[in-house]
Amino acid sequence: MSVIRVSHISKNFGKVKALVDLDFSIEKGEFFGLFGPNGSGKTTITRIITGQLSQDKGEGETMGVPFTDGLGIKRKVGIVPEAETPPTFLTAQEFLELVCRLRDLEKVDKRVDKWLEFFEIEDKRDVLCRDLSRGQRQKVMLASAFIHEPELLLLDEPFINLDPIFQKKVREHLVDHVKSGHTIFMCSHILEIAEKLCSRMAVIKKGKIVALGTLDEIRTSKEERLEDIFMRLVGSGD
Amino acid sequence: MSLDFDWHFFKTMFKEELRLHRSFVGGMGSAFFPVMIFIFSLVLAFTSPVVLKNISKETILLVLHVAALMYGLSVGALGMIGEQVMTRRLGQVNMLLQISANHPITFRQVMATFYVKDLVFYIFYSILPLIAGIAVAAPFAKVPFTSVGQLGITLFLTFLLGMSLSFLLSALAARSRPAAGVVGLLIVALVVMVYPLGYLTSGQVLPTLGFWTDKSPLPLLIAAVLAVLMSAGAILSTKERFESKQGVYKSMLLPMEEKFAWTGSLKLLVAKEWVELRRSGSLGPVVTGFLGPLFAVYIITWFFRTGMGLPLSFNVVFYGGMVGFLGVMTYSWLTNLEPNEFMNVQPASVDQVIKAKLVLYFLLTSVVSYAYVIIIGFIDGELNLLPLALLITGATTVYVVVVTARLTGIWTNTMLFDYRVLGKFFGAIVPPLIIVMVLSFWIKTAPMISIVLLVVEALGMLGASVLVYRSVVTRWKGEHFAFATLTAGSGASN
Repeated sequence: MSVIRVSHISKNFGKVKALVDLDFSIEKGEFFGLFGPNGSGKTTITRIITGQLSQDKGEGETMGVPFTDGLGIKRKVGIVPEAETPPTFLTAQEFLELVCRLRDLEKVDKRVDKWLEFFEIEDKRDVLCRDLSRGQRQKVMLASAFIHEPELLLLDEPFINLDPIFQKKVREHLVDHVKSGHTIFMCSHILEIAEKLCSRMAVIKKGKIVALGTLDEIRTSKEERLEDIFMRLVGSGD
Repeated sequence: MSLDFDWHFFKTMFKEELRLHRSFVGGMGSAFFPVMIFIFSLVLAFTSPVVLKNISKETILLVLHVAALMYGLSVGALGMIGEQVMTRRLGQVNMLLQISANHPITFRQVMATFYVKDLVFYIFYSILPLIAGIAVAAPFAKVPFTSVGQLGITLFLTFLLGMSLSFLLSALAARSRPAAGVVGLLIVALVVMVYPLGYLTSGQVLPTLGFWTDKSPLPLLIAAVLAVLMSAGAILSTKERFESKQGVYKSMLLPMEEKFAWTGSLKLLVAKEWVELRRSGSLGPVVTGFLGPLFAVYIITWFFRTGMGLPLSFNVVFYGGMVGFLGVMTYSWLTNLEPNEFMNVQPASVDQVIKAKLVLYFLLTSVVSYAYVIIIGFIDGELNLLPLALLITGATTVYVVVVTARLTGIWTNTMLFDYRVLGKFFGAIVPPLIIVMVLSFWIKTAPMISIVLLVVEALGMLGASVLVYRSVVTRWKGEHFAFATLTAGSGASN
């Protein structure tokens, strides 16, 4: 059974065609990357897959839950949105506790400690999220998605604002996550991720999938560089 | 320091304001609000000959000018908005106010432009439609056009006074809360000198009102100079940099959740709302924001009774009805604490947050509401009416806030600008409130029947509240937490 099934999804924002007849599926254990230039529709399809936005046409499901049941989907998956927006007036620890309690998790203290330590922000546990740096806020958002060790992680530009050390650490964690049988769906415009992490990928341009498959399947020759593939598929990025 | 006025920047900010409004309430909603004000003032002006038979011209002028002053005060808290924007409290709503962070323009220049922009916007959005309504009705109501023109000028200047005073106080508060407190106390002292002490007249404190007794241009000149001075003072005292202290707190979410265990499945969200209310420093303003209007209602009705000698019986039942109506502001405050955008990726829905806010609302207002009504019952010697007054208090409080929650969700401030929502809100709230008021006045002449009708109305409102509360889930369950993002459809990015 597919973990994510997207069937002929279209979405318009007024006269703007954000997504045009998207059709793909992602299987259990895959590290799937969705790549495309700014404004190509990556965040829109992620929001539809996670039940945050309704499509105009088509249908689909995430972890067997239809896109129309946003709450049902959110119970089953971990999501990192594009912008880091932890709550202004809660501390980092309180936010993670809130997430644990919203998901009815046990051993809250242990989980919170584990992820604060992983992201090396234990000393910031009592600081209001408002007063954390952007990078620290992103770490809190990542921790909130990882804390229940979900079957499926949906990540929208997860490495944004992270320093190279933590980019590497998070990359390694994601690889381990997939190795242990979990699935990852990630949006990015960082091409190196495709080569380093993804088992399969799609390239989206102006709301349409223009390539879908493994990196080797998408390459026209073994010598073709990532940047050349991207330029060939999406043009100058307009 | 340069305070050159940049017209291009002003025009850009004005466009931003229009688009922000449209993103909140849609194009029609944005355009319809001034139309509603126009119709409202037109009807009022048409009926003015009848009203003038019962209420003096002085009273009407007082009410209009106090309303304009309060409106200006509510619009002008720009210093606070500036601080919020600069310390990232507005969620994903990024505004030109933040431009000084990265570009060669001072925050004072930005705030000065923002102030002028807001002034122009609200003149076109509400003051001009108000005056236009009166002007259209003037020939029929036999009001001379010169008086309409004078009223337009005095109302505009009163609005400007309120706006500049509020701007000054909020800019001072961002710099020094004690300084703002001193200025605030001085203003309260001036008001007290008028009512109840009577050492000064209202015209001496509010020069625009003084114009109507003196008929000399001097009070208008004084008002204009005062407004300019306060505006300049506000701009000059605007902080250039906001360096908020790092907030460090021991976790209190889970202990609070235990304390709110009695709220059942809502305990976690009620705890979250409570922690945010405390941390944001809003608890004091929320409570005083409720107490202030309650106090003002008592003062105004006292003034009507003793000062104006109106033949209306403001009894404790009347105050019970007013308490419920004023609670809307408290609920509105509670919806302003946090955009809750992070909840979009968590298994929680908007209707659950609304219910948590309702619990908090009742916790914050119940004790104050009942204490207020009981104290008035004692002061006015109406203990016999107290049980009925308490029933009315409970019924109106529950009814009004549940209707507000159903219609506006967790975006009360912005959604009430939508003419469709505003129309439904008034349609649902005003008739029952007017019936309560009329019946409360009627107790004096026909006690038995009016009391029975009031009890029936209270039970009706409670029954309606149950139905409306149930519909909160169907209305809000599937909604997105970021209102502006949702309505603007900005999800098209990436």
